[in-house]
Amino acid sequence: MAYTPLLQQLMDALRCLPGVGPKSAQRMAFHLLERNREGAMALAGALEAAVSGVRHCERCRMFTDKPLCEICASARRDASVLCVVETPVDVYAIESATGFRGRYFVLMGHLSPLDGIGPQELGLGQLEACLAEGGIAELILATNPTVEGEATAYYVAELARAHGIRTTRIAHGVPLGGELEFVDGGTLSHAFSGRQDVH
Amino acid sequence: MRATERITLAPAYVLHQHDWRESSRVVEIFSREYGRLGLVARGARRASSPWRAMLRPFQPLLLSWVGGGELGTLTGVEAAGAPCVLGGQALLGGFYMNELLLRFLSRQDPHPGLFGHYADGLGRLMQETSVALRVFEKRLLAAAGYGLILEREAVTGQPVESGALYRYELERGPVRVREVSAHGLYVTGDMLLALAGEDLRQREQVLTARRLLRAVLDRHLEGRPLKTRAVMREFGKMGV
Repeated sequence: MAYTPLLQQLMDALRCLPGVGPKSAQRMAFHLLERNREGAMALAGALEAAVSGVRHCERCRMFTDKPLCEICASARRDASVLCVVETPVDVYAIESATGFRGRYFVLMGHLSPLDGIGPQELGLGQLEACLAEGGIAELILATNPTVEGEATAYYVAELARAHGIRTTRIAHGVPLGGELEFVDGGTLSHAFSGRQDVH
Repeated sequence: MRATERITLAPAYVLHQHDWRESSRVVEIFSREYGRLGLVARGARRASSPWRAMLRPFQPLLLSWVGGGELGTLTGVEAAGAPCVLGGQALLGGFYMNELLLRFLSRQDPHPGLFGHYADGLGRLMQETSVALRVFEKRLLAAAGYGLILEREAVTGQPVESGALYRYELERGPVRVREVSAHGLYVTGDMLLALAGEDLRQREQVLTARRLLRAVLDRHLEGRPLKTRAVMREFGKMGV
């Protein structure tokens, strides 16, 4: 039996979510319609409000519903330290796990030369403008440890160097609670080359 | 490759990869015995996947997979040595070499010799990026069946002389001339012989070799420019 057009439309729309195939879309649609119409209305409202209201922070490109995100607008954050990350999720990860009190810049991706994504496609001009404004003493590179993240870090580091800004990079190495025996060779070699003096 | 073929621990490199579905990846590999192939790495993006750290470009690998249709399925990944650690310009050069392989080799067309040249080229990138790239370009063209004529004149078949001047005609090869005129690609005998012997030493030779190889590569790229080259140019523009 064919679905009614509205039901079909709902299921097709749900499939834009990651990991949702035809079967899960059907389950979600039926659940909302059979058991939780109130929840469905709330979901529809929240989706609409978020999509029309959430934008990128003018300074760091983080998601926000004001012109500047909470971190950029806060007077208690240290404006002289800038941490460069690939995605908004990375900001939440660093915020919840570390005591970092500086500001961020979200690249919204990474350089991928083989896909034709270069500095221009990534909009790195905005980061350069931010560095040119002055007032930044240290730039922390927190791009992902992939070859594309590496290329991105190289580019950003060169930009920072051109503006005379000290650049640091978060450490790569053995995960806590891990055993050396089970750590892959690449990570171990990074950990070795990045070894530090014991204080 | 037959539909059910099972390959065990074949030497290979990852050239490129992209995310596929929720937790998998499609990796484009270059293996010594089987050439370029596409493989699905199921679950490779999960945090618990032991493949995640190893499946990266420039890392010598031993891969196992099951063949079938357009894409095979990856079944095992082992490191075959220390990764080739590239940084800065050398890293961009590595991406460029990968794109050349993706563009010039068709899938499932073995090039064991070129595999060795690729590994060798990656190793040299950190020392002299630009020379390493020229040598790799020359070897790649030869492997793809577009080898350059460098040691003999096109028309007469005479040996190329180091002191002489040549106009390089892309369809034919070097033609000896007395002087440079308005059009054409002019090269010295020195450079042709240095490129033939893979012994580019002077800066001038490296630059001319680059011009020549670029013209030849472009001819075979059929109007679809290399993406990495455009990105490298942008790096150059920003003074990086």
